[in-house]
Amino acid sequence: MLKYGYGGRILRINLTERRFRIEELNSSWVKPVIGGRAANTKMLFEELDFKCDPLGPKNILIFGVGPLTGSLLPASAYYTVTARSPMTGILGDSAAGGQFAAEMKATGFDQIVLTGKAKVLSYVLISHQGVQFIECPDLAGTTILETTRSIRTDQKDFAVQVAAIGPAGEHQVHFASIVSSGNRVNGRTGMGAIMGSKNLKAIAVRGILSLEVADPLGFLHEVQKMEKNIRNHPEYQKRYDMGTTMLMSDLNDLGILPTNHFQKGVCDYLEKISGQKLAREYKVKNKSCFNCNLHCSRYYMVENCEAEGPEFETLCGFTSRIGNDDLSFALEMNAYLNQMGMDSISTSEIIGWIMECQEKGLIHPKDLDGLSIKWGEKEKVRQVVEKIVYRSGIGKRLADGAKKVSMDFGLEAQKLVMQVKGLDIICGDPRGIKAYGLTYAVASRGADHLRAEPYFELTNRKEEARKRFGTEKAADRMAEEGKAALVTYSEKLALLTDSLTMCKNIGLCMDVLNFENTGALLHYGVGVDYTPEYLKKILSDSIDLDFKLNRKFGLKKEDDTLPERFREEPLSEGPTKGSTVNIQKMIDEYYALHGWNE
Amino acid sequence: MIKVDLTKCTGCRRCEVVCAFFHTGRINRQKSRIKVLSLYELGLDGPIVCNQCQERYCMRCPDNAMSLGKDGQVIVSPTVCTLCEICEKLCPIGAIEIHDDIVYVCDLCGGKPKCIEACSEGAIEFNRQNQIRSPSLSEVFKKTKRKNASQKRQSFLKEQGIEIRKKWRARHA
Repeated sequence: MLKYGYGGRILRINLTERRFRIEELNSSWVKPVIGGRAANTKMLFEELDFKCDPLGPKNILIFGVGPLTGSLLPASAYYTVTARSPMTGILGDSAAGGQFAAEMKATGFDQIVLTGKAKVLSYVLISHQGVQFIECPDLAGTTILETTRSIRTDQKDFAVQVAAIGPAGEHQVHFASIVSSGNRVNGRTGMGAIMGSKNLKAIAVRGILSLEVADPLGFLHEVQKMEKNIRNHPEYQKRYDMGTTMLMSDLNDLGILPTNHFQKGVCDYLEKISGQKLAREYKVKNKSCFNCNLHCSRYYMVENCEAEGPEFETLCGFTSRIGNDDLSFALEMNAYLNQMGMDSISTSEIIGWIMECQEKGLIHPKDLDGLSIKWGEKEKVRQVVEKIVYRSGIGKRLADGAKKVSMDFGLEAQKLVMQVKGLDIICGDPRGIKAYGLTYAVASRGADHLRAEPYFELTNRKEEARKRFGTEKAADRMAEEGKAALVTYSEKLALLTDSLTMCKNIGLCMDVLNFENTGALLHYGVGVDYTPEYLKKILSDSIDLDFKLNRKFGLKKEDDTLPERFREEPLSEGPTKGSTVNIQKMIDEYYALHGWNE
Repeated sequence: MIKVDLTKCTGCRRCEVVCAFFHTGRINRQKSRIKVLSLYELGLDGPIVCNQCQERYCMRCPDNAMSLGKDGQVIVSPTVCTLCEICEKLCPIGAIEIHDDIVYVCDLCGGKPKCIEACSEGAIEFNRQNQIRSPSLSEVFKKTKRKNASQKRQSFLKEQGIEIRKKWRARHA
């Protein structure tokens, strides 16, 4: 049945017993979830012991790809990693692009499911035949690039793709990341800490199987239409030049660029830290994920380091968010965090939070092992980050994340952590993008924009807004009206993108993917018919499942909220001046649209 | 021949994908005649494809299964070939590889290479024979003798990238 698109098999690995089992992927099981994120969540819901310790051997770590991953489909280059998060205690997952997903697909496994804990630091080498367990105590403490090079050299095969953890993952920093293709990061919710807890340094994949689609010419035709839409998109050149770092000046123009830890939405030294400056002065060439015709990633060099990236979140996180006007420092931190395997969003939040609390006199240096840090103090940022990576000194506490650390301090300090459900907020002030505010509040992995990515509210398409959501206000970033409808619509498209494991910049922000063309892609690709109505239904069911799963972890409606600052403190200057988020109203509407009660 | 400009390659592998797809209807790197390699630690990405070298090492086929097409491309006769693997071993840059009993080497798609159409970055360019001088790979041959095809591609890419990296670095010192 699953002859086309899918690899058709699931690989189950028990690290404690060093055993693996290969299962057929059941077609009726996978049809209503398609693949990727939705399939991973379904498996977690069905198989996880909800009381398990996220960093214990019982937690299930799932790597998943979709039916069209690694195919002709442009930017079908993502894979999703899912488990119970150590950061939040609820559903955790994170996706990354690069080359890993396509290689994993060529092993014929749609999902790789890991449980247990290896006795000594090990990596698994996965081919179409199964698994080799390889002990690697000598790789302890190595960077992502060192690990990748070492595995490729040992295997005498440079097509091997490696998803590894760095020292932060080994030390189980709660926001440690998994990194593949050298600099491609599964950043959020601490998936790297789970690999560390399982003594798993890396997953290496090398596939030789073919990907076949049901109707190659029909599929090619659909793909060519999509490629044309990407190539002819009005934002193509801007995204090609700067990637997501274009958002530095875009958000600043809207007055929502987090500055000094969300105290301001406008940064007066923007031109020193902009995406334009990065492209002009540091970029040496463009980089790309598997089979993408946008090529929006970049390779850069600075005096003492070089790396791929950064994406907007890292750039903003280590410039304006922490009051630093030195772009090259942010580039250095990007390279460092990628190689140490630690999430830049959570790292910059904890630093920004301490800076603000100390500015306000809420945290005394003596309560932080003598740490005193002010806006933009680069050398101190360097030192703190290194301590977190290795859990040394004050880093031992800070490695549990800002929310947990804040519990040791007063209520005023706790309120200043910019997080929802324990996950730190991204760089985009919700006071000037209300649909994003709603998304942060309700997202099933904690404060996150990618669950819905309601970029539509920034596109000013009033007529389209009226058609899709019944009100022009849905296209007005400052309005709260129509935003629940926008988010329930775009969260389906976001999940669809994640389930096909495609890129969200292309699928959603560039508005390339819709229910109709996905139906056609799946028809020609997998040979199974998905009508737009059926797609909407199954996506809605999957979103319900996220909700049910999180209720199993003890989440309540009250947990869907925003930090007090966004609800009550208006911004004092710039184009978003005076605005706050009336979040409860939007949440109630959102719940009503879903038919959820509590 | 197909000429590669490493400064422009982003590592998207679109050339590799379409090569396999238009020859076989499938996506599979092993079935591709142009293989992209990314050396993440050096920021280098690049496709490895037959360079139509002056030495033509693969033509030393003991079974005479190889011939040259009008654009200098290597043509393998599947009926004469005995899968002895000597061509794979002799190619200094890993541009010939056997998979599933088939010898994969660039055939220039008979004169209109699909990979060139797929590359939007200008990282590969098609020159008909005699427009461009074939490179000599004798130095590379000495260095990569005992390596497998994947190792040879890695070594070749690294070597080619040294000068490019020097230029990049000089700009950012």
